[in-house]
Amino acid sequence: MRRRALGWVPVAAAAVTLGFLLLPIVAIFVRTGPDALLDQLSNPVVQDAFVVTLKTSGVAQLLILLLGTPTAYVLATRRFRGRPLAVVLVELPLVLPPAVAGLGLFAAFGRLGLLGSTLDAFGVSIPFTQTAVTFAVAYVASPLYIRQAIAAFEAVDPNVVAASRTLGAGPARTFFRVVLPLARVGLIAGLALSFARGLGEFGATIMFAGSLQGITQTLPLAIYAEFDVDFDAALAMGGVLVGISILLLAGLHLGLSWRSSSTASRSLFGLSPSA
Amino acid sequence: MRRALVLFVLLLAALATAASAATRAQITVFAAASLTDVFPRIDAAERYSFGGSNTLSAQIQQGAPADVFASANMTLPNQLYAKGLCSRPVVFTRNTLVIVVPTSNPAGVHSVYDLTRGGIKLVVAGPGVPVGSYTLQVLRNMNLSAAVLKNVVSQETDVREVLAKVAMGEADAGFVYSTDARTVPGKVKVVKVPAWAQPKVQYGVCVVSSSGDKTSAQAFVRRLLTRQAQAKLVAAGFLPRIKKR
Repeated sequence: MRRRALGWVPVAAAAVTLGFLLLPIVAIFVRTGPDALLDQLSNPVVQDAFVVTLKTSGVAQLLILLLGTPTAYVLATRRFRGRPLAVVLVELPLVLPPAVAGLGLFAAFGRLGLLGSTLDAFGVSIPFTQTAVTFAVAYVASPLYIRQAIAAFEAVDPNVVAASRTLGAGPARTFFRVVLPLARVGLIAGLALSFARGLGEFGATIMFAGSLQGITQTLPLAIYAEFDVDFDAALAMGGVLVGISILLLAGLHLGLSWRSSSTASRSLFGLSPSA
Repeated sequence: MRRALVLFVLLLAALATAASAATRAQITVFAAASLTDVFPRIDAAERYSFGGSNTLSAQIQQGAPADVFASANMTLPNQLYAKGLCSRPVVFTRNTLVIVVPTSNPAGVHSVYDLTRGGIKLVVAGPGVPVGSYTLQVLRNMNLSAAVLKNVVSQETDVREVLAKVAMGEADAGFVYSTDARTVPGKVKVVKVPAWAQPKVQYGVCVVSSSGDKTSAQAFVRRLLTRQAQAKLVAAGFLPRIKKR
């Protein structure tokens, strides 16, 4: 009798949480309406922002994947002195307020930054360019991927890896044919997380890259600039961004469940199979 | 007996603080970013929110709890007045536009015309921000719009962000108010904009209609127009409210 009485508490909590999370999103679409949304799709500011966002997020996620995966693998499988410190360092950008991350990027890669004169010597200038946007997105989003990737690699049974090596496969073949497929679900979950974070990146971008239509103005930056000029247009732009994000994440999820190598169902952002 | 005395003293103290609070209620002032340093000098007791005047205006329109709105132009308060969101704005001070460059002046900018040179990293405020629209007016007056605007690398959301990017040394030049340049001595050098090209920069202040304390808000606005406050504004580099003929 007691158990049944308490049964409604977690359900109520879940309802409140879901309501809290979904209400702002629903409110955007309720206030905006489909014509305003379609209007914004033909707005050159939105189209330019969409292209900038896609290009910079795409390149950033590619870099995160190519550099972050081996990083996570090393941190997951090798035990070396200072490993706990390395793991903490990889997670450090997460606790940095994005604006501070932007300042840090200036301090490192700006004209007067630590690498400033070196970059200058090569004729390379990063601040206020599209590359700066990619840098900012990659910086704030990579810890999310690497953290998930480490967990994914740690979950791979070392006996299976050992068996593969015993049967004669080299380290590279073992990694690509055994480890990667087993860790794939966690890796994709991590990529979805870092992609979502990258899409919404604002503070570090506006600080380090500035905001210029067609070059550095991503969708979040365009929405912020529009807010002071036309609040309803900004709301509609927000709707467009939410719509794009939902499509991309749903695409990732569908791709994941279609190519899933296990029979158990997976949650998008977690590693453990949902009940 | 002792307990009663203690309670009596506490009651007196509570009444005293309540009385002082009643005569001096704190109001919320939304003010243009360029007023960040001078407003607290005029009246340290109020709660300030500084930012781009257009951002503040948008927030007021969305219901933000402000009592007074002090904008870097008359356009924004007039728009709010037309919508019935604030009282009729009055001009309380004026300003001038200048170019700032990092002290090392890496791009060798000595005049507005130098900004037409290729490769210069120019930072301006967005066109909706008062200082951004004043910048566009200056360039129009000098017939340099296309030539200079092609060097813009970023459109910031308020004047202090423009100043910061130049003071940091990362931008080659930026358009700010002369009063902003003085807040970071030693970090920037000022390049003057010709007087004939200066736009009419008038700061407007009004009482927000949804204010919960119109009396204190109106008192604040009146205080801005007194000789003492005007002297402090002029000392900070602002121009007198009324142009001397």
